Amino acid sequence: MTEFKYVGKPFPRVDALEKVTGSTTFAFDLEVPGMLYVKLLRSPLPHAKILEIDDSKARKVPGVVAIATGRDFPIKLGIYVGDRDVLAREKVLWVGHPVAAVVAESLEIAEEAVDLIEVKYEPLEPVFDPIEALKPGAPIIHERLSEYRRLPTFRPKPGTNIANVFTLRKGDVKRGFEKSDLIVENEFSMPQVSHVYMETMSVIAHYKQSGDVEVWSSTQSPFTVRYLTSICLGIPIRRILVHAPCLGGGFGGKAGLNMEPLAILLSKKAGYRPVKLVLSREENFTSAAVRVGLKAWIKTGVKEDGRLVAEQIKYVFDAGAYADYAVNVGRAAGYAGTGPYDVPNVFIESLTVYTNKPYATAFRGFGHMEFHWCIERQMDIIARKLGMDPLEFRLKNLLKPGTSFTATGVRLREDAGRPDQCVKAVAQALDWGEVPSKPKEPWKFRGKGIACLMKGPAQPPNSASSAIIRFNEDGSVELQVGTSEMGQGTITGLAQIAAEELGIPVEKVKVRPMKSTDSDPYTWQTVGSRSLFMDGRAVIEAARDAKRQVLELASQVLRVPAENLELAEDRVFVKGEPWKEISLSQLVMGYMHPNGESVGGPIVGRGRYIATGMTNLDPESGQGNPTIFETFGAQGVEVEVDVLTGEVKVLRIIAAFDIGRIINPMLLKGQIYGGSVMAMSIALYEQMTFNEEGRLLNPNLTDYKVARANDAPSKIVPILIENPQKDGPYGARGIGELTMLAVPAAIGNAIYNAIGVEIKDLPMTPENVWRQIMKQRPELIEIAVKQLGGVKQ
Amino acid sequence: MTAMTLPEFEFRSPETLEEALKMLWEKKEESAVLAGGTDLLVDMRSRIKRPKLLVDIKRIPELREISYNPETGLVIGAAITLNEILKDDTVRERYSLLQKAVSLMCDSILRNRATLVGNICNASPAADTAPPLLVLDAKVRIASVKGFREVKIEDFFKDVKRSCLEPWEMVTHVIVPDPPKESKGTYLKAGRTKEDLAIVGVAALACKDDGKRVRIAYASVAPTPIRVREVEEMFAKEKPLPDLIEDVISVVKSRISPISDVRASAEYRLHLVEVLTRMALFEVLGGVQDG
Repeated sequence: MTEFKYVGKPFPRVDALEKVTGSTTFAFDLEVPGMLYVKLLRSPLPHAKILEIDDSKARKVPGVVAIATGRDFPIKLGIYVGDRDVLAREKVLWVGHPVAAVVAESLEIAEEAVDLIEVKYEPLEPVFDPIEALKPGAPIIHERLSEYRRLPTFRPKPGTNIANVFTLRKGDVKRGFEKSDLIVENEFSMPQVSHVYMETMSVIAHYKQSGDVEVWSSTQSPFTVRYLTSICLGIPIRRILVHAPCLGGGFGGKAGLNMEPLAILLSKKAGYRPVKLVLSREENFTSAAVRVGLKAWIKTGVKEDGRLVAEQIKYVFDAGAYADYAVNVGRAAGYAGTGPYDVPNVFIESLTVYTNKPYATAFRGFGHMEFHWCIERQMDIIARKLGMDPLEFRLKNLLKPGTSFTATGVRLREDAGRPDQCVKAVAQALDWGEVPSKPKEPWKFRGKGIACLMKGPAQPPNSASSAIIRFNEDGSVELQVGTSEMGQGTITGLAQIAAEELGIPVEKVKVRPMKSTDSDPYTWQTVGSRSLFMDGRAVIEAARDAKRQVLELASQVLRVPAENLELAEDRVFVKGEPWKEISLSQLVMGYMHPNGESVGGPIVGRGRYIATGMTNLDPESGQGNPTIFETFGAQGVEVEVDVLTGEVKVLRIIAAFDIGRIINPMLLKGQIYGGSVMAMSIALYEQMTFNEEGRLLNPNLTDYKVARANDAPSKIVPILIENPQKDGPYGARGIGELTMLAVPAAIGNAIYNAIGVEIKDLPMTPENVWRQIMKQRPELIEIAVKQLGGVKQ
Repeated sequence: MTAMTLPEFEFRSPETLEEALKMLWEKKEESAVLAGGTDLLVDMRSRIKRPKLLVDIKRIPELREISYNPETGLVIGAAITLNEILKDDTVRERYSLLQKAVSLMCDSILRNRATLVGNICNASPAADTAPPLLVLDAKVRIASVKGFREVKIEDFFKDVKRSCLEPWEMVTHVIVPDPPKESKGTYLKAGRTKEDLAIVGVAALACKDDGKRVRIAYASVAPTPIRVREVEEMFAKEKPLPDLIEDVISVVKSRISPISDVRASAEYRLHLVEVLTRMALFEVLGGVQDG
């Protein structure tokens, strides 16, 4: 194995000190001279015609500068489908839909004025359940679906609530079922959840008299914000400057285009003054984008010996009122929807459906955590029906690099990674096959569960990245990349890559966490666990370009061919004669001979990378190559279930990933700890709960429960497996989202292992688990009560 | 509307109780007492409360008192935070039931601000300190410009988020008498996560020298925290303990009225009342086999 100097070492993140001392500036904190403040009026109804908006009283409040309604902005927004209004037009589509915006000299004034706006509505029948929304006669949420601008990849069904239909056909699923010895059918579900990033949606926009637009936004995608703003608002791209300071979390919720166009248009309406729009936590729950809900139906055919033969799947994704991004979540879950298994005959229909609820966007895992919940629960159920060990059953069916074909018909690269090694490693660490120890309370039961996973970045086939390396006078470098810093730490890994290539210490590679579209090089978006791979390749190219220039100049100075030279530790020297050397600082701004004559000049390296080998998928069969890599992994848990309260406690999580190459083990483990706990939180606690009128009942952190430190398992064990992928940076694959995917299913599997109760719907709250125990195994509660010296009443 | 700002208010920070009481008397309904603010400021931000005057009581020396003597018991001033209670040796040694309830409240960061007196003044049915105070026969000392009065904690709570306090009054101290000798208490709480409001909270206190009486009180199952006194005499009866517990549970169920909300259904709360009561009795009676 190659020895690396900087790659693979646990360097602390470049932004650590600023963050832990509280001095990092987020968009939420920023102020711009002359800035005004925005407050949104939100719809109290889930579906209604807007008859009249009377803002006369609000306008009279001293300090109000402008008031806007949907009529002011006849524009549709969106990344994949242009279905989103800037403010509600003609109709409101969910409780929380922004209807009007007040711009005022202070936030207090804006808050006071917004309450004085009077809106007359004519209520329309709402639909909240995606299955109901599919039925004939259901209220139609987007009557003009056929008119929306969209990428040709997406297929809406005008006249219905279907925003996108994705279909996948591989082999012959009908014949597959005929050849099967056992057919297992199940339904699974999960509700909409919120990203709960710490920094709520924050944007400052300044539409200047000159026609230039400057935006500071908590965004994962400054370049996509710039591009889509240009397209949607008709502003030339060169006139738009987007800054993305460090994000206080994103998790997909700040991908694509969010509230930037509204802020830009309000700035113009307020007389070209800068405006700041920040959502409160409550507003963020109801009015910013959330994660899709899912209802799934899976039918699987297997042979007696445990080989998967056929699988038919229907995924119905609940997008809420807009699906501009969610259509691609439905598509991604559609093409990857069989999980990491080799299934010869597959039919998948993945629908993205409109309902009168908050709208959904990307979320860490992008549809994959959702379908892994279903597929990996299904695998355990099948194994049990076959009388097979779930581990053995999985090992029999996992995709094999080099020989297996994925559901979209791609032959897996031979260096794609080893799912079998991951699941075996987890099983070993979990002492698979050994019965868990018994808790001292007789009403508590322990069990173990395991689940596999795979995912690649969901990005367009032309998704690209670039990097620039500029030398400073002392031989240190400015590394410029477009990827945002949202807590994941990729920029530190990229700095290590640059250091490795250039042979200079990591401390001498400076990479600015804040991104600006006019000074940082392009990257598509910071999403899909793509940045280390894509931007990493660009950084390698930029560093090699810079290094080549350094060696060429040094070759003139030292009078030996460039290939005889080596660059290491801030100097260039002749191989074999290291005393013939010159320091980097003497070269990087140009070399000056003793007499003053100079050659060379400031050295700038450039690099780029574009997704290679990806294709558009066939619109009917879904066949083609949708990803540049797949990261495989497995996660296992041990749980303790209290049958009296229904409470599930996760005692430990074991997580193994074939990440190809470790760039920074400390950051990698950090991702695994964070992702595992986030997934556990979604599995056990999180759900957006609506009443019959579509009003969110828990738009706050009192009642939208998120795991905190005390809820986290005391033991999380990361297992890092390195089977390098030849085209990855040093062989690395992406990891950020992957850390979430299998935890919910592993917990569900472990609960069955503990108490023999089958949970198919998330979240597994104490009350929901108790209900399932009452339904499936009430005797467990009766026995426990007896052990407490009583009889259950 | 959910505002991010607080409504306008005047802020005063008196250094004597007399000054504070005078301010409350002058503004009455338009005033509010500020201690930790963990309930009040949230209610102000959501405009449930719009006091014109906030009287910060944290600089008043006698409200910063936490003391114990065997005659009066434990005295907790209105400005004493939950973490200060947790740090107190007497509380840990003599009032483990109260200590346990406080340790299960919110999180360590909030416990640096939140106060026990604030917890009872907010008069939420879910107040975690209420069930222990109820079974420990705590008293509430109330002050106003008219003088002092003392009420039993049971008479303090009137309805959901309503206490017996008049707008010009404030609670200065809670007094918790010495627990009965050789008593054993516990507080059990069911929540959705480790740091949750009580879905159901149960305090139980078994007093051996008192005819085997057991006191039980609940949070989150009725409009106010509630002590079910009817069950207390039942433990004096000559009846096998398992049978007794069945009787106790049916009496408890007849006295409570849990609701369904976003936190839990009434059905689940009833179930929790039953199992937590069993667990609490199991714990304080040292297992029921010997009964």
